[in-house]
Amino acid sequence: MAKQEIRVELLSDPRLLKAIRGLVREYTAGLGVPGDQVAEVVLAVDEACANAVRHSYNLKKDGQIELRLCAEPGWLEIVLRDQGIPAPVERLRRKATSAPDKETLTPGGLGVQLMYRVFDDVEFQPGETQGNCVTMRLRLSG
Amino acid sequence: MAIEIENQEKDGDCLIKVTGEVDLYTSPELRGAILKADPQGGTSLGVDLSKVTYMDSSGVATLVEGLKTAGQKRVEFVLVSPSPPVMKVLQLARLDTVFEIRDTM
Repeated sequence: MAKQEIRVELLSDPRLLKAIRGLVREYTAGLGVPGDQVAEVVLAVDEACANAVRHSYNLKKDGQIELRLCAEPGWLEIVLRDQGIPAPVERLRRKATSAPDKETLTPGGLGVQLMYRVFDDVEFQPGETQGNCVTMRLRLSG
Repeated sequence: MAIEIENQEKDGDCLIKVTGEVDLYTSPELRGAILKADPQGGTSLGVDLSKVTYMDSSGVATLVEGLKTAGQKRVEFVLVSPSPPVMKVLQLARLDTVFEIRDTM
């Protein structure tokens, strides 16, 4: 399989999340990923985008978000960048609990945990003073 | 419309029927409907999720908030027939066991 890449730039408008889900759904399904897993990837990327809209840009609709979908033999890699407020590191940690965590449902907290549960590797890189970058990787079989 | 919300009342119980997608854009509408629902003389507030085709963590947070506020109002909070996408996100969130889930009200 040759490397397959799509890059999109979007403004931080929550109305656009549905269109991005459609793009990610078609792209991931096109790689031959099974349907259940496609739905999980769509969810996790939607969570990442929603966090950029809600937290990086505080729901302002003029922030820049950059999404890069990239597939090479064996790996799907999705990178999301924004130029907004860097996320606090405490919010980005993977939680080890397997118990129901209704009490700890912090704003944006659940989305980050869903990203960790869907992807094989998730790396957050908040900027020193501005911006965020998250790289999500999934092993592809076959 | 990305989401449609219908409020029904029967014997004082409230049932909120949701159709479509629940994400950051549409979940405030669901949140508003749940917070406004006030079972008069009834004992239950139900949310019919059978026609929900997508839900993310903002939708889940709305349901958790509904559960908490229903508890404060001494009212039972029920998820009615959650669709597979809803069950999937609840399971991923490890919250599938904290809700009362029924096929009908």
